[in-house]
Amino acid sequence: MTSLASPRQSFDIGRLARAVAPSLPLIVFLAMFVYLGIASPSFLEPSTFALILKQSIPTTIVSLGLATVVMAGGDDVVSGGIDLSIPAAAVLAAAVVADLVTNHAWFIGPALLIGLLTAVACGLVNAFLVVLVGMTPLLATFASATAFVGIGKVVTASRRINVTDPLVVWLRDGVIAGVPVGVIAACVISAVFYFVLHRTRWGLNLQAVGGNRDAAEISGLSPAKFIATAFVIAGLAAGIGSIFVLARGSGWAPGTEENMMMEMVLATFLGAAFSPRRIVTLWGAVLGAVLVSALSVGFGSVGIDIFWTGCIKGGLILVVVASSALSRKVNI
Amino acid sequence: MALNIKRACLTSVALAAVVGLASIATPAAAADGNLSLKGKRIGVAVVGTQHFWDREAFNGALDEVKALGGEPVPVDGGRDNQVHADNHDILLAAKVDAVISILGDAAVEPKFKALKEAGIPVFTVDHLSPYSINNSTSDNYYMGTTIGRFMADAIGGKGKVAVFNAFEGALRICAIRTQMWKYVLQDYPDIKIVKPELAESFANAPEDARKKTLDLLTQYPKGTLDAIHVGCWDQPAIGVVQALEETGRTEIKVTALDAGPDTLEIMAEKNSPFVANVAQQPHKIGMTSAMNVARYFGGEKLLPQTFVEVVPVKGPDSAKKVYEDLGYGKLK
Repeated sequence: MTSLASPRQSFDIGRLARAVAPSLPLIVFLAMFVYLGIASPSFLEPSTFALILKQSIPTTIVSLGLATVVMAGGDDVVSGGIDLSIPAAAVLAAAVVADLVTNHAWFIGPALLIGLLTAVACGLVNAFLVVLVGMTPLLATFASATAFVGIGKVVTASRRINVTDPLVVWLRDGVIAGVPVGVIAACVISAVFYFVLHRTRWGLNLQAVGGNRDAAEISGLSPAKFIATAFVIAGLAAGIGSIFVLARGSGWAPGTEENMMMEMVLATFLGAAFSPRRIVTLWGAVLGAVLVSALSVGFGSVGIDIFWTGCIKGGLILVVVASSALSRKVNI
Repeated sequence: MALNIKRACLTSVALAAVVGLASIATPAAAADGNLSLKGKRIGVAVVGTQHFWDREAFNGALDEVKALGGEPVPVDGGRDNQVHADNHDILLAAKVDAVISILGDAAVEPKFKALKEAGIPVFTVDHLSPYSINNSTSDNYYMGTTIGRFMADAIGGKGKVAVFNAFEGALRICAIRTQMWKYVLQDYPDIKIVKPELAESFANAPEDARKKTLDLLTQYPKGTLDAIHVGCWDQPAIGVVQALEETGRTEIKVTALDAGPDTLEIMAEKNSPFVANVAQQPHKIGMTSAMNVARYFGGEKLLPQTFVEVVPVKGPDSAKKVYEDLGYGKLK
């Protein structure tokens, strides 16, 4: 706001921005869905909806992890909570499980446990870097993501590993009462996360730390402890997500984390647009993941010029993040 | 009389050569004037469009579907095998009449199965599958043995060779090409393959291979490495050549497979270390697949595989000639 602007003008612009900016992602998404619905009749069919839910599973799980970190660290992308390494940790854990099951003939149970522990260890590394070393979460998790991807390549020699274990196949293809097993599992996991973070004292304290770190500290809470735990929970989410990564790809393949990271960031921050206070929430992240998946499915059904797909998704991330920044600026 | 016969023979040889060359450069659509895809929606799924081969196979299929009166429904995996696999679900939900699937690893198999069960025929390009009606591809057996012979010749039948071989276990076409190359090398006992074999990245292959080659060159000082071969394609070879030029190690010979315009240009340079290749015709392969879809709907019985001619390339002059013959233009 420059000093040249009259008070009246600045009030009007501010009011307009306050009214429109937070809802901009919703408006854009709504417009796109209306277009997709008109352009592709099959987009509105129930089978497409089931497909959208099914394809959103890995993104949903890792977005739960990111939402937890953002809720604990605050939603300032630079100084607040962010964890870009969750997809990389999930893919690393998936690599470990695939290697153990296929190359070393392990039973799936113990292999999954090792995979889960690997992902939790990734969360601990992030907690160490952010809380004890004092690195910015954005940089710390960007660096650790690179390392996790590297370790995954060492484990797998950067070669695809097929997994045909019945549990993985069941999670991929199984149906209970007409609903895909993976979707049911994702709902249960989301409900557990929701309960822990929104319905327990510990969860509410974690949100208090993210909402106002100083106030939380004055009231006797230890922000460092909550932030560190949030990173470990994100690691746990990555570990749980790893089995869905395996199910989705019928095995492990290098490079899966890149697209997942983009979708996770888009889903989590898009979710904030649904919250009355425009903050990142768990259910917002889940809804965001479903919408991002709907978009991918919609683009495919309509046959949008594929060379534009990347531009559109990148543009949407910009709209979502810019809207979040703008609404914060306006509120100050 | 004898002279006439000789002349007639020469004329027919020349004619055959011209026809042969024409069949390399031009699509064969005219031969099947009665083929039609009118009123059919044909899903075309490609693993990515960053590389010449993928893009051209994709464009070839799209062009031919349109030329035959069909409506293509394109989906792009963005060089991510899992996204590519998921895209088949989108085509299933969109209820296309047939699917042409280009490349992809084992993650696509359950998707093919689902498409087949839904009565949607699947046609593959460079992917052998029990669920595919027909696979359009190059003669991978010939490619593998030819590049094996060419590489052995280039290093005088002896020496050490490093190989980029990430996909032998993941893609059948890569297994054929690399194993045929190794089969030829069995008859050259003085050629040793460096262990462990290298694994190139699926996405960003040139830069990834450049870094890996720089590391390799540190391990193998001048005089201890004679060739670097890329087992299944040639995008990594771009980075390999860069690394050799950066370090002045152009005495090491490079061989690979695919020979699109980008790599033919590198091969055509004077004293290029990139000495041998086998050129495919991806656009024609894509077109062939689309024509096979039309043949299938026209009631023709298709063979499990359709092979499209390949063209061996050996040395700069050959690279220039093939560049011109395949219609990429003219190189100085």
